Amino acid sequence: MFGTKKPLWGPQPEQKKHYDAVLIGGGLHNLATAYYLAKEHGMTNVAVVEKRFIGFGGAGRNTAIVRANQRTQENVPLYKDALDLWPQLTKELDFNLMFNNCGNVNLMHSEAAMKAARMNVSTAQFLGVESHVLDAKQTKELVPALNLSQDITHPIHGSMYHPPGGIVRHDAVVWGLAKGAAKLGVDILQQTEAQGISTRQGKVTGVDTSRGHISTPKVMVSAGGYSAGIISHLLGLKLPISVLTIQAMVTQPLKPLLNHVVSSGAYHVYCNQTLKGEIATGAHMDPWPNYTTQVTARYIKHQAEALTEFLPCLRGVKFMRAWGGLADMTPDMAPIMDGNDPLDGFFMNCGWGYFGFKSSTATGRYMAEYMATGECPQRLRPFTFRRYEQHKLMGETAALVNYTPDN
Amino acid sequence: MALMITCPVCGRRNGYEFRYGGEDKGAYPWGQDMDPRQWAEYVHMNSCTAGVQKEWWYHRDGCGSWFTIFRDTVANVEVENPEERT
Ligand SMILES: Cc1cc2nc3c(=O)[nH]c(=O)nc-3n(C[C@H](O)[C@H](O)[C@H](O)COP(=O)(O)OP(=O)(O)OC[C@H]3O[C@@H](n4cnc5c(N)ncnc54)[C@H](O)[C@@H]3O)c2cc1C
Ligand SMILES: [Zn+2]
Repeated sequence: MFGTKKPLWGPQPEQKKHYDAVLIGGGLHNLATAYYLAKEHGMTNVAVVEKRFIGFGGAGRNTAIVRANQRTQENVPLYKDALDLWPQLTKELDFNLMFNNCGNVNLMHSEAAMKAARMNVSTAQFLGVESHVLDAKQTKELVPALNLSQDITHPIHGSMYHPPGGIVRHDAVVWGLAKGAAKLGVDILQQTEAQGISTRQGKVTGVDTSRGHISTPKVMVSAGGYSAGIISHLLGLKLPISVLTIQAMVTQPLKPLLNHVVSSGAYHVYCNQTLKGEIATGAHMDPWPNYTTQVTARYIKHQAEALTEFLPCLRGVKFMRAWGGLADMTPDMAPIMDGNDPLDGFFMNCGWGYFGFKSSTATGRYMAEYMATGECPQRLRPFTFRRYEQHKLMGETAALVNYTPDN
Repeated sequence: MALMITCPVCGRRNGYEFRYGGEDKGAYPWGQDMDPRQWAEYVHMNSCTAGVQKEWWYHRDGCGSWFTIFRDTVANVEVENPEERT
């Protein structure tokens, strides 16, 4: 894009006066939605409008962890669909998404946490997702670098082991989907900001972008952490979302020492070793809304302290880079996916917090079905924003790392 | 960036001493006959302003006061009441 080489998704097209659907935000969810709209529903007159460049948001900043061991029966199947899609998409897009299903190990540091793990594992097994409870010794066999000493802040009691999860190369997913969508005729409009959504008599009629007006009967807002602000300021529709900045960082490259994604709710840390050898780690946010995407010394220090307690071999290793991105948190730690309510032709897919990478492809596929047919797919129904007024909040709050202004 | 917050009792202190208490949504709707939608609106829904908003804070590691301030959520700094600025 910035060099002389053409991007994989071709040169920037002219913005047309009319599209059958306009998707606001050039992240993974909309790129996947656009791809499936074109591929499975024959809707090719579609634009993805992106204020900066595709992958600018969470799509290019996440720590690439994928898994399907969530807490509730509504959530697990959606994430399982997504996990099953990676190998399929790698073939279909003819693009190596570098799915490394190394498995996830969630450390438990108390008997109460072990009980919670048993509950999560039962849910997973009931829904056909492989997941096991391990005691401390078995965990150490899997991750020899772990410190089982009782003499740390949170001694390790055991873990929840989820073999089918792992890591996917997030940039590759952005590029692969963009290439796939563009090839099918989707216009990817970068440096194009959505500035208004026009409506008439309860129906969406168009989108105003920094390049001019587009008439369209269908609009999707799925702009990661920016979604709630866009929806509330362009349409006056408030959502149960708080936007926080989440931080991540990588160490210098090391010889192979971690073969799994290891995470800990008590330490507020997750980490994995990238194929380059760096330890990629993160999970902290300042618990007050902000759009800064800035990192703080406080959490770099915390991360170093926490990591070196349960992985003491990392003592003295240097952090090379740190970065931040936005996380749009809901009170029940589950996303909001809805459409044709309260406006016909208006769709939204947001509230993905710090866990919206792993689900992006399956969600995009379902949202495409929703947009094309007008019928909400069964899988997505529990995720309506109306669940808040119906007092049907989801129980994902018991998730492993819960960090919102609500707790 | 380090956030500093002005407590009406203790003065300007490090932001980590405080707990965020949500966007200011006006007076608590005592005694009003609210339907579940209005209640959800009051309890859960946010404007998510990228810019200056009025919000609640609690001086958790201090005097325990609840109070409101104005803060720019993009720069993450406390600001003056924009209406009082001339
Ligand atoms: C540090 C970090 C670590 C994470 N780790 C994980 C993880 O390990 N696993 C996981 O599953 N998830 C993770 N996530 C969450 C995941 O990255 C997000 O949930 C997901 O990327 C958000 O969806 P998206 O890709 O569709 O949106 P984004 O990539 O956030 O896209 C939003 C886009 O909208 C654009 N935009 C904003 N305003 C406008 C406008 N007015 N008009 C047009 N475009 C606009 C932005 O420029 C941006 O490119 C992490 C997130 C962060 C920040
Ligand atoms: Zn005080």
